[in-house]
Amino acid sequence: MNAELIVAAFYFDGKSSRRHSVTLTVRDQIAVISGDIRRECAISDLRVSERFRNARRKVTFPDGAYLEILDAVTFDALLARTGFQDSFVVWMQQSWRGALAAFAMTTALLVIGYLYGLPAAANLAAKALPANVERMIGRETLAFLDKRMLSPSALPPSRQQALSSRFRTLVPPAEGMPPYEIVFRKSRIGPNAFALPSGHIVLTDELVHLVDNDDAIMAVLAHELGHLHERHLMRRLIQGSMIGAGATLLFGDVSSVIANIPTVMLDLKYSRDAEREADDYAIAMLKKNGISVSAMIRVFEALEKESGDHPPYLSSHPPASERIARIGGAT
Amino acid sequence: MVNPDDLLAATDFPDKIDRRKDVSGPEAFEFTGSGSEYFRIWIVNLLLTIVTLGIYSAWAKVRKTRYFYDNTVLAGASFDYHGTPMSILRGRIVAVAFFGAYNVAFMISDAAGFAALLLLGAAIPWLIWKSLQFKLYNSSYRGIRFGFGGTAGKVYQTYLVLPLLTLLSAYLLAPFTHQRIKKFQHDHSRYGGTPFSFHASVGSFYKAYLVAFLVALGGLVAIGVAFGGTFVAIIKAGGPKDAGPAAVGTIAIFLLVVYAWLFSLLPLFLTLIQNLIWNHTRLGDHHFASRMRAGKMAFIALTNMIGIVFTLGLFIPFAQIRSMRYRIKSMAILPSGSLDEFIAEAQESASSTGEAAADLLDFDLSL
Repeated sequence: MNAELIVAAFYFDGKSSRRHSVTLTVRDQIAVISGDIRRECAISDLRVSERFRNARRKVTFPDGAYLEILDAVTFDALLARTGFQDSFVVWMQQSWRGALAAFAMTTALLVIGYLYGLPAAANLAAKALPANVERMIGRETLAFLDKRMLSPSALPPSRQQALSSRFRTLVPPAEGMPPYEIVFRKSRIGPNAFALPSGHIVLTDELVHLVDNDDAIMAVLAHELGHLHERHLMRRLIQGSMIGAGATLLFGDVSSVIANIPTVMLDLKYSRDAEREADDYAIAMLKKNGISVSAMIRVFEALEKESGDHPPYLSSHPPASERIARIGGAT
Repeated sequence: MVNPDDLLAATDFPDKIDRRKDVSGPEAFEFTGSGSEYFRIWIVNLLLTIVTLGIYSAWAKVRKTRYFYDNTVLAGASFDYHGTPMSILRGRIVAVAFFGAYNVAFMISDAAGFAALLLLGAAIPWLIWKSLQFKLYNSSYRGIRFGFGGTAGKVYQTYLVLPLLTLLSAYLLAPFTHQRIKKFQHDHSRYGGTPFSFHASVGSFYKAYLVAFLVALGGLVAIGVAFGGTFVAIIKAGGPKDAGPAAVGTIAIFLLVVYAWLFSLLPLFLTLIQNLIWNHTRLGDHHFASRMRAGKMAFIALTNMIGIVFTLGLFIPFAQIRSMRYRIKSMAILPSGSLDEFIAEAQESASSTGEAAADLLDFDLSL
């Protein structure tokens, strides 16, 4: 039979802060304390704290009294002899192999979540969102823009009417045409068109003048209808707030500025993906209605020329050359 | 004073352990946690929290807190944490439901939202109180639990009336309110049956705020003077576009320096306040001493931030250990007698308030 293992420890009784010097040993599944204090307790009633590199382990009795183990080596041997086993989580925390596996899995989960999980969840959430929430967000955004950046359109009403009614005659490429309303505005930020979750498609006078071709304007409107069909704005809002919440949890203690960086950076890919999807929708819509896709190329070329060598949304949109090539591939 | 070497030497001969009764020299707090060890706990906590969609965070919090408590040593004994994951999880579910209902109320109507806001304002002081009770009741040292008393009237005065008055005073009352909050927290804390007490005056808080304000202002003026000459040169050259890439570089460095300075102000301020608070807190007749240095604390905060940015967050656990080690190492207790003489409070009253309390306001996911 093995020699009895005797572990030196301090004992605190839970009633006073006085420290007692004791030894611990185990006989027949009973922990036996001797020294300043004599006490016995079934080991199944004791709680053993996790092993840390520099901290003394604690063995706690049901009544709050506890031992601080001084002789860690003998205590480990004693634990092994009583058949004590660390939980799986503790094993993972204590081995570098487990920690590296956890690191690899965390990274994989974050990447997969970013590429597939979050977009899928946002898609579901956007569809489940009551229509009046979307309407409210869209209407408030438009009101805000009207106050700050947009003014009433200077286009003759007949021209507005003509563009709207021509677009209304076009057949959508996919089932379930989203409800929409084309609104004309004069803009202080140059040629632009965008779709709001409320179904408002805002078309600026500057863009109408810039492309100056009705087929091209149909292409722009089709692209925006594509955004509406896919609920891109709502999806990106949801994705953005989820990434923001995650980044704040991770980095919020460090700096709120830093916590915002991932939100902005990670949104760019979602934004470019959305533009590609809307382009595909527009291409399909033009083809279905017998309009040449060269109309769309015209828009990108005009926008690229207009923005010059400093494209304002190079990163939020795919490069114009790529978008043009994509249309070329579709013809 | 108990010498750690004596303890180690005593390990093999437990009967000869030093037990001089009159401990009178200062006892420094020590922190024995290590970044690499805590990194492993952190990464496993992070993985399991993600996999369980946040539910594991309650278990993660217990693991993290136990690691920090077990590694905090005073006079040869460490602290212990007794919070259970289930009670933390329960508190979090209640809190999420609470704030969720508040957000939904605003979707229903403005009136419902406003009512929910009032309700939340009325509830938050109570939640803070219960969280303090939870935290202290679940902390122990040498087998004796801490505790927190207080009365509802005092809680609402401290956490509702005073903050509202501060808001109305254009924050001129902020140092006063800060002093009252700390006084409330420390005066109603106890270790076993021994109460803590708080002796920092309102004037000393105003002084700390004033010092922090003057230091902040002085730094900004100094940065302005240092860069002023270059900026004048850039403007004379006709703006940054004409002054060339060197000018753009100067502006970038200027912005970086200003950000670094503003970022350093929080640790500077926290250092002032932490020293002020602990140098004027007593436990029975025992005093505390806090000797944090603002420069060192700002250096730790800045280098931590740089480390976290360049490792995409992997440095976070190391950063937490670094600043925790410095903060704990800066503290000492100045005993007026033996630390062996504390007695636990009559167990029943302590546990009835402590166990009814819940950790409702702690959204720390232990990452």
